[in-house]
Amino acid sequence: MIDRVLDRIARIIEVTLALAFIFAVLLNFANVLGRYLFGISLLGADEVQIFIMIGMTFLGAAVVTRRNLHLRMDVLVRFLPTPVQLVLRVAEQLLLIALACFVLTQSYFYARQMLRLGRTSDMAGVPMWIPHGMVALGFGLMLIFAVCRLLHSARRTPEPPVEAKP
Amino acid sequence: MTFALAVVPITLLLLGFPIFMVLLTAVTVALVFFMHVPLAALHQNLFASVNGFALLAIPFFIYAGELMGRGSVAQRLVDFVQSGVGSVRGSLGVTAVGTSAIFGAISGASAATVATIGKVMVPAMRRAGYPETFIAGLITAVGAIDVIIPPSIPMIVYGAAAEESVARLYAAGVVPGLMIAAMLAVYVVWRAKRENFGAGEPFQLRVFLHAFGRSLWALGAPVIILGGIYGGVFSPTEAAAVACVYAALVTTFVFRELGWRDIVAAAASTVLFTGQILIIVACAGVFAWLLTVNQVPATMTAWLQSLNVSPWMLLLAINVLLLLVGCFLDPLSAILLLSPLLVPLVKAAGIDTVHFGVVVTVNLAIGLFHPPFGINIFVAQSVLGLKLETIYRGIIPFVIIYLVALALITYIPDLSLIGVRYLLARG
Repeated sequence: MIDRVLDRIARIIEVTLALAFIFAVLLNFANVLGRYLFGISLLGADEVQIFIMIGMTFLGAAVVTRRNLHLRMDVLVRFLPTPVQLVLRVAEQLLLIALACFVLTQSYFYARQMLRLGRTSDMAGVPMWIPHGMVALGFGLMLIFAVCRLLHSARRTPEPPVEAKP
Repeated sequence: MTFALAVVPITLLLLGFPIFMVLLTAVTVALVFFMHVPLAALHQNLFASVNGFALLAIPFFIYAGELMGRGSVAQRLVDFVQSGVGSVRGSLGVTAVGTSAIFGAISGASAATVATIGKVMVPAMRRAGYPETFIAGLITAVGAIDVIIPPSIPMIVYGAAAEESVARLYAAGVVPGLMIAAMLAVYVVWRAKRENFGAGEPFQLRVFLHAFGRSLWALGAPVIILGGIYGGVFSPTEAAAVACVYAALVTTFVFRELGWRDIVAAAASTVLFTGQILIIVACAGVFAWLLTVNQVPATMTAWLQSLNVSPWMLLLAINVLLLLVGCFLDPLSAILLLSPLLVPLVKAAGIDTVHFGVVVTVNLAIGLFHPPFGINIFVAQSVLGLKLETIYRGIIPFVIIYLVALALITYIPDLSLIGVRYLLARG
């Protein structure tokens, strides 16, 4: 049940980011057209595109965590005995939980500070707590996904199948 | 501090932990236990590392390649190149090289090229009686051209890590990329003549013109991307966005092969790729900041200068290191891990950082198909159904060709810098 919910959340994030990314492409294209055809630029378009990319980085990384698709150098580990590999997998989830907690805390307080100060981006006027909050949200989701995977390891139940590969 | 910046990351890397975690752990340990700076520096540097317009070119180029790779673009390009070189002995092999070079000028995703070009070329080469080891070696090796010929994703990442202009790197990659393609094509023809396979067919102007007409829209993508960048019309990021829109329009309305669902699905694939790569970019940015504030590159540079190592020797040592690293690590991760250390060294040795960027890219491109663990070997094995031992036996001559090219590119900087001098628009 919980796996289906988490998979659903990952899928919603993925599709939302995909649509936002298409918007970023169109925004960039519109800016190029505007500059050459009409001599005008969309103020703040670059900032919006960068903030979408920041979302793709940290929220996308959370989806990648859920799908277990992070890049790693695992050629040596493959030669280790299966029990050692299992121990390493548990250690990885424990370390990710610790790291995600740490970054989540730092990013949350930073985003909250942005909200309190009412900071906005220079050109587009986007409230800065939104892009900074995406770092916190991304690591928060990674934390949840890592806890879920750790519970699977503790119960010795198989992990959910990978949905897609990039 | 050595424990945090060297022992922790190397240990975790060897134990197979995700690369972003390797970097993030090193950074966290250093910040919490060894340094006296506000912990908010972690968030600030994570955010700042991906808060740059130039990095947008990475997802944009990936998306353009995704869109172009989903339809019949590869088949159209293959038909076009084959109709032009069909009279040459070994023409199908030359077609594989030529098509990969053109495909590389559209996307720059090596593994995708091996899969896309391989699916079209491997059955045709088998039917024409090409030796299986030759097919396996060529198709596995040929995709590496894609990361050298611009637009190249590793060059964008190197540009970000080394603070070097992506447009200059792209201009520098053209001659080395074409030179490697030419060397591969010459080897293919020589081998076909020596082993008497792949007889050519007479050139037919009508067939050539028909294939050219069918591939015209696909050929338009590299013209727009590279012409736009070198002509000073677009920045690399803008060229990538224009390429995305062009690819979407061509595949949807001209070729009528993709629908809206495919366009969103390609964007979703791009999101996953971006999540994989840019999280490493973000963590590598914090790691590089830590190295700098702890004066690690400066200390290494001073040590190297005390040894009086010549640039020739330094480049040789770096080539060996990168070839070794490239056997185990994907190019983007390797660039992000090593650039903060290597770029100050080569700068101090008086080596041009654009030239060095091309050397790094060629090195790591070789790692993409170098036995035993090059990623393209496994792509060829799984997607094309080629046997691993056949690939290993077939790949050796191609590794040697790339190594010869690497030596030429390393020790003749003008091969790279000539593009910077003559391809980029003045002013």
